[in-house]
Amino acid sequence: MKRLPRQPSERIDRSKPVTFSFDGKPVSGYEGDTIASALMAGGRQVLSRSFKYHRPRGELCGCGQCANSLVTVDGFPGVRACGEPIRAGMRVEHQNAWPSLDFDVMRATDRVGGPFTPVGFYYKTFIRPRRMWPVYEKVLRSAAGLGKLPKRQEDREWVTEYRRRHCDVLVIGGGVAGLSAALRAAEAGADVVLVDDDVEPGGRLLVEGERDHARDLARRVADAGVEILTRAPALGYFDGLVPVWQGSTLHQIRAARHVTATGAIEQPLIFPDNDLPGVMLSGGARRLSSLYGVAPGTSAVVAGVGDSAIADALALHEAGISVAAVADLRLASADNGVARGGPLGGRLEAAGIRYLQGMTVVRAAGKTGVTRVALARVSPDGVAVPGTVEDLDCDLLAVSGGWVPASSLLLQAGARARLDAVTGRFLAADLPAGVHSAGAVAGDGLREAAELSGTIAGATAAASLGFGSDADVADQRERLTELGGGATSSDASSAPGRAAAATLDAPPPAYATDGKRGGKSFVDLDEDVTVKDVEYAAAEGFDSMELSKRYTTTTMGPSQGRFSQLAAARVLSKVNGAPLEEIGLTTARPPWVTVPMGALAGRPFEAGKRSPVHRRHRELRATVKWAGDWRRAYDYGDPEGEAVAVQTTAGVIDVSTLGKLIVRGPDAGELLDRLYPNRISNLAPGRIRYGVLLSDAGRITDDGTIGRLDEDTFYVTTTSGGAAAVEQWFSWWMATWDLDVQLTDVTQGLAAINLAGPQARTMLSGLTDLDVSNEGFKYLDAKQAMVADIQCLLLRIGFVGEVGYEIHCAAPHGEKLWDALAGAGARPFGLEPQRVLRLQKLHVIIGQDTDSESTPYGAAMPWIVKLDKDQDFIGRWALEHRDGDAPLEGALVGFTVNGGPVPTEGAVVLDGGEPAGQVTSARRSPKLGKTIGLAWVPNSLAKDGTPLAISDAGQRIDATVTTVPFYDPEGEVLRS
Amino acid sequence: MSALAFLQVDGGAAVARSPFATPAAAAGAAIDVVDGWEVPVGFGDLAEERRAVQETVGFADRSSLGKLELQGTLGELLDGAALGGTVKRDDAVWCPVSAGRAIALCEAGATASLRTRLEETWDGSVLDVSATFAALTIAGPLARETFARFCALDLRDSATPVGAFRPGSVARTPGMVLREADDRWLMLFGAAYAEYVWTVVADAAGRLGGRPVGLGALDA
Repeated sequence: MKRLPRQPSERIDRSKPVTFSFDGKPVSGYEGDTIASALMAGGRQVLSRSFKYHRPRGELCGCGQCANSLVTVDGFPGVRACGEPIRAGMRVEHQNAWPSLDFDVMRATDRVGGPFTPVGFYYKTFIRPRRMWPVYEKVLRSAAGLGKLPKRQEDREWVTEYRRRHCDVLVIGGGVAGLSAALRAAEAGADVVLVDDDVEPGGRLLVEGERDHARDLARRVADAGVEILTRAPALGYFDGLVPVWQGSTLHQIRAARHVTATGAIEQPLIFPDNDLPGVMLSGGARRLSSLYGVAPGTSAVVAGVGDSAIADALALHEAGISVAAVADLRLASADNGVARGGPLGGRLEAAGIRYLQGMTVVRAAGKTGVTRVALARVSPDGVAVPGTVEDLDCDLLAVSGGWVPASSLLLQAGARARLDAVTGRFLAADLPAGVHSAGAVAGDGLREAAELSGTIAGATAAASLGFGSDADVADQRERLTELGGGATSSDASSAPGRAAAATLDAPPPAYATDGKRGGKSFVDLDEDVTVKDVEYAAAEGFDSMELSKRYTTTTMGPSQGRFSQLAAARVLSKVNGAPLEEIGLTTARPPWVTVPMGALAGRPFEAGKRSPVHRRHRELRATVKWAGDWRRAYDYGDPEGEAVAVQTTAGVIDVSTLGKLIVRGPDAGELLDRLYPNRISNLAPGRIRYGVLLSDAGRITDDGTIGRLDEDTFYVTTTSGGAAAVEQWFSWWMATWDLDVQLTDVTQGLAAINLAGPQARTMLSGLTDLDVSNEGFKYLDAKQAMVADIQCLLLRIGFVGEVGYEIHCAAPHGEKLWDALAGAGARPFGLEPQRVLRLQKLHVIIGQDTDSESTPYGAAMPWIVKLDKDQDFIGRWALEHRDGDAPLEGALVGFTVNGGPVPTEGAVVLDGGEPAGQVTSARRSPKLGKTIGLAWVPNSLAKDGTPLAISDAGQRIDATVTTVPFYDPEGEVLRS
Repeated sequence: MSALAFLQVDGGAAVARSPFATPAAAAGAAIDVVDGWEVPVGFGDLAEERRAVQETVGFADRSSLGKLELQGTLGELLDGAALGGTVKRDDAVWCPVSAGRAIALCEAGATASLRTRLEETWDGSVLDVSATFAALTIAGPLARETFARFCALDLRDSATPVGAFRPGSVARTPGMVLREADDRWLMLFGAAYAEYVWTVVADAAGRLGGRPVGLGALDA
């Protein structure tokens, strides 16, 4: 291998050398080179080691689609060397080989392990003895995989941003068909985006001597206003959303219409040792020589099934590579562009290239690269016809097994794969509405046909959106039919002239062989799956395409079956004796192109809510944790001290996270009566009532307070995480009942601060003119007043069991209100001490102490259910029809621990040694000097003084049941 | 006193603090009182801020805007504005959110008078939600590209012309976008998300060469 003289279509700039390293050694290339082209120009043929057998592998496709050139670049594994441009200083390393790429000890699996590692061996071995699995796993994990991620997290971070793009027409594929479609749609006035995975649009035009035309077309497309994204493969089709990966950007493109012009994929031929370095796709070899001026070999043999291989052979010859012979599987002269007097035949002759009609390759030979090939005529089942075998020396075997439309995105969109009877190719048919195909993926692979079908698709897509008309492409449709195109139209199979016009390839046998022993014939190079593996799997019963895929992992490697799906289908067709259309194809799942997980992650920002007082919590060095989607202060470094302060002087806690709803209107009371199990409509203005919300099944879903502000206005609070769900729940029923009520979620517009403790009243009185005496402001009163010059709503309630005022004000004043209360002497306390204090009162936290099966009866709140109220309410029927007197849910009770540790939340309550309940909350109470908690227990244990056995991670904890609050059981403190 | 006076930012003598004041101050903002609100008024270099708005993208805190939620029969108030559109009248922008709900936006200083007038003359529910929503204006030739980094709304001319109003999602939170001018959008979202949204917008704009700006830069 070497660098060729300057090529007319090359994209490298020979005046700009670029140096990078490969396995620590410097390598020189030119600007525009890929890693693979630069390495190959420097003489390196082996680029990787295979997945299972660690066989040496060289370049196959030359365009970034196969898995033969996976390398690690600057620490990131899995980069395709044949698609990645070189950059000065980039650090490229081989992967999946040790100690070196050229000498890999794991190659032993190929030489001696073959018989012991048939397909599916990992399902059958490494199972017994079971205790050895951790060892097996370690060995397997170390042997498997494609490259290794950097060990340190900071070295693995991938900076990616999302970019949403809406457009009228998205064209996927920048070949002549895609460019034509984009141009036509844009000229009609549509907003068009074109995405292509190469460094510039143009597709095969760039390789096949029409670079200037490609660039001119691309320029016209850009001038028409099309946004062109290059090195930007489409990853999949998700109900109209197409993610497109472009370096550090993940475009999320939503288009009204899609034109898929993804081309076709050249297929390898299957024969013994078809994976030797030096065995390449003929299109790939041509691409290397044409675009990068690299000779992938010095002496080539080309074996193909159609005209494209012959054209490639001529191109290699013209580039300066000696082509010893061209083997063409086609026998019938009518199908043969050479034999029927086409220009290719004359050019082969003029070039002095031997043309071997009806022959194909039946074996490749060589140690670390191909040095000799055997060509022969073969029987229909692929065996060399005796006496026809001819051996030729070469270091490049360029093969072409025909072309498969790259229809995966179309199939993901909902199209169906259908075998085209004329060409023998699977085409995507029955395209969903709004999805169009053009060019080779639609079966229109010839240059003129591709251009025409692109123009037609662009016109049709644009016209369907009201941009221009597609009436003027009637001539193009006619011409396309003349060229044998339009295969995906509904009547394509019977379209007259298609068979005559199409240039047909010979279908290759499932695999060809010289009949000798030895050598592996690979169906799937990514996964090292051989013909024998597929046959073996079929013999075991995995004889359908779907089952075979899962058992053998064929098509599940990095190239997503691009080069293996049809080959596997052919082998199965042969094994089953069934036609190819019966075998069918599978749909490649997204992502269609290998993409780093980090590229899908987007920016690392979490949508967290912060209270208007959050800055103060930070200044006080609070321990801040997630509570739902809020960032909350759990404590300020001394939770016990904070709890004690609340019970001895006063404390302030930021409860701005509570959900807050305004419910207004003439029917507001009735709405709440129907939603809550207790009576709300009889609440007097200025008074508050506690309420729980129930599901239809009578289960508790949320709780909070309801304050009546005036005749038609209620102020409803919910749990911190429940506001959105409660608003949705209310809205649902408002719409159903058609009540005259307005509902607004004001959670984020209000700060709420709870001032509680023996000195709370005194502190508050210094900040407001409101009469805060117990007579003037009773327990469960709601009043508006100015506090520290801020308009506030004060609710006299007490979750923590002390005299308390929950003070609500507009969020932009929250910080000042906090400052005033703290300035009056109240000590900030966090969520953790709050939980201790409320446990002392046996106050329940919904979601913590209840679950989706908890009713008010079980949760020790039977008093809240007013079955005697006139109004029906949500959950009433279920509560009325509970399961007898001993419901299965049990009872929520308090307990004290008789010495011993604080049980873990979730610890098991035992009854007769059997699990019978669980601890939901437990804390050490500094005031009580003991551990207290809440637990669900069987009803038989829900009696004061009952001993309780708790099992916590194997440790037994003895406790005693209590059903009355530990602190202020009569509520005298609260009401004082 | 209104039963809902406690919702109003202008109910007392205290100065309101914008939900962006903390992250803006951390980004170097000068915080000053405007119309009773502490807001970031500049970031130390008005010329650079104006350049960002003219050449790339700048984003400015507009949380002090008055925001009134209206529920009821909206026909007359909206003067025929359909869903997705807006109408400018009486120094306010009237933005329908649904058939029976709209948001009226006005300058902070005009909020009280507009609220009072509506309460007195309109037979519907008027709720002051000025504090519920934070607001950012994102302006400049790359403003739409900035939005594209965190918002899936279609903000192209064909879908969101000047004056259009789009309730939806911004930065993965519920929000609304009003196109104020060719290269200028106003974004409303829950005030509790302000610090998070600031981070997201600053990141997106910064990667496009943009920056936070004071209100003065928007007038350029």
